[in-house]
Amino acid sequence: MASQTGTTTIPNRRQPPRRLIKVLFSAFGNRYFLYTLSVVMFLTFWDLAAVQKILGNFLPRPIEVLSQLMSLNTEPLASKTLFEHLWASIHRVLIGWAIGVSIAVPLGIFMGLNPYVRAIVKPVFDLLKPMPPISWISLSILWFGLGEESKVFIIAIGSFVPCILNSYNGIRLIDPALYDAARMLGASRRQEIVEVGFFASAPAIFAGLQISLSIAWSCVLAAELVGSRSGMGFIIILGMNQSSPALIIAGMVVIAITACLISVGMDRLENIVCPWKRELPQ
Amino acid sequence: MMAKRNTRGRILKLIPFISVAAFIISWQLIVELGVVPKMLLAAPLDVLRLFIDKLTQPHPDGALLYVHVLVSLEEAILGYFFALAIGIPLGLLMGWFHTIEGFARPIFEMIRPIPAVAWIPLTIFWFGIGLSGKVFIIWLSGIVPCVINSFVGVTLTNPTSVQMAKTYGASKWKIFCTICIPSALPMVFGALQMALAACWTTLVAAELIAANTGLGFLITMGRRLTMPDMVVLGMVLVGLTGFVIGVIIDAVEKKLLAGIRR
Repeated sequence: MASQTGTTTIPNRRQPPRRLIKVLFSAFGNRYFLYTLSVVMFLTFWDLAAVQKILGNFLPRPIEVLSQLMSLNTEPLASKTLFEHLWASIHRVLIGWAIGVSIAVPLGIFMGLNPYVRAIVKPVFDLLKPMPPISWISLSILWFGLGEESKVFIIAIGSFVPCILNSYNGIRLIDPALYDAARMLGASRRQEIVEVGFFASAPAIFAGLQISLSIAWSCVLAAELVGSRSGMGFIIILGMNQSSPALIIAGMVVIAITACLISVGMDRLENIVCPWKRELPQ
Repeated sequence: MMAKRNTRGRILKLIPFISVAAFIISWQLIVELGVVPKMLLAAPLDVLRLFIDKLTQPHPDGALLYVHVLVSLEEAILGYFFALAIGIPLGLLMGWFHTIEGFARPIFEMIRPIPAVAWIPLTIFWFGIGLSGKVFIIWLSGIVPCVINSFVGVTLTNPTSVQMAKTYGASKWKIFCTICIPSALPMVFGALQMALAACWTTLVAAELIAANTGLGFLITMGRRLTMPDMVVLGMVLVGLTGFVIGVIIDAVEKKLLAGIRR
C-alpha cells in the first residue's frame, strides 16, 4: 500500500525539476545561447584573473581596456587620435598591397600561360618564396630608412607571394575541358584566354587577393613595431614602452576588429565580383 | 616535328638553371660595379664568405651560426608541437560535439583575427624575452590553421557513413573515433604545412623584437651593425631551414597518408 502511493507520487514530485533540466538541455543545444555563455564566461574569467593578478600587474581588467579605448578616441596619442593611427596603417596596407598585387597577378597569369615565362620566373620565385616577408624588414630599413617606403616595401613583398601562387595555379589548374569546348566552338587563342581562362581562374585569383590582404595587415604591424611614429603597431609598442597593458590590449582589439572587417568585406566583394564561383568545401 | 618538340623541351629544362644563374650573377655584378653601394646590399660571394667565417667565429653577434639555427629551431618546433597537440584535438572535438563548439568557437573567433605579431608586446610583459614568450607567440600563430582544418575536416565527414554507424547502434563517441577522425585526416595533414609556415614566419617576427640569439636576431643585428651580408645570410638561412622542414613534413605526410589516399 505504502509502496504503491510512493510509486505514484514520486514521479509527480520529480516532474518540475525534470522539465527544468529539459529546458536547460535545450538551451545547451542552442548554439547562440552557448556562444553568449562562452563570451560571458571568457570575460568573467579574464576579469577574475586580472583582479587576482595571476599574470602580475600586466593584465588589465576588461573595463580598463574599454575606457582606454574611449579615451584613445578623444585624447590624441603622439598628436594623432585612434582613427588617424588606424588610417595610417590602412593607408600603408592599401598602397603596398596595390603595388604587390599589380605586379604579382599579371606575372602569375603569364607564368600559367607561357612555359618560357614560367621557366624563367619560377626558379627565382621559388628561391625567394620560403623567406618570410617579415625577414625582409631589416633589409628594407637599410634600403629605405624608417620612413613610409620601407613599410610599403614589406607589405608589397608580403602580398606578392600568395598572389603570384594563386594566379599561377588558378590559370594552370583550369579544367582543360573548358578550353577544349571553347576551341571546338572556334575560339582563337586570345578568346580562350580572355573569355575562358580569365573567368575560370578569377575565384582562385581573388582568393589570392584575400590571403595577401590579411598577410599585408600583419606585415604592416610588424613593420610598425620595428620603427614608426604612427599606426596601430606604434600604439602597441607605445603601450609596451609606457608599460601600459591596457593600451596594448586596446590596440589589439582595434586590430582584430579591422582584420575581421577586412575579411568580411573581401567575402562580400567576392560575391559581387565573381558570383559564378562554385561553393567550394572550405 | 618531333625534333622541334624535343629541342623545345630541352630549352625549357635548361632555362630554370640559366635563370637562377643569371639572377645570382647579376646580383653579384650590381654590387661589384657599384650600382648599389656595398653599405646597402651584399654580394653573394660576401655572404658566402661570412657564412664560412661564422661557422667558426662568434665575433660580431656573440654566437656561432649553428647556435642561432638551433635556438630558432628549438623555439619553432616547441611552439609547433604545442600548437598541434592542442589545436588538432580541439578542432576535431569542435567539429563533432556541438557543446564544445558552442563554448570554444566564440573565444577562438575573438582571438583568431589578431595577427600573432600583435601579441609580441603583451607576451614580453607576461613571459619576458626568454624561450617561453617566443614559444607562446609561435603557438598562437600555429594553432589557428590546426583548429580550422581539423574542424572543417570533421564537418565534411560523409553523412551517409555517420548515419550507417548510427543505424548499427554506434555511440556518439565511437562514431567520432572510428569515422570522423579518419575522414578528417587529410585535412588535418594539410594543416601541418600551413601551421609550419605560420610558425616559421612568426618566429622571425618574435626574434626581431626581442632576442639575443636566433636567426631573426642575426638579421636584426646585421641591420644594427649595418652589415648587409649578415642580414642576407640570416634571410637565406631562414628560407633554407624553413624549406628543409617543409620537405621533411611533406615526406612524413606522404608516408602517413599512403593508406588513405591510395
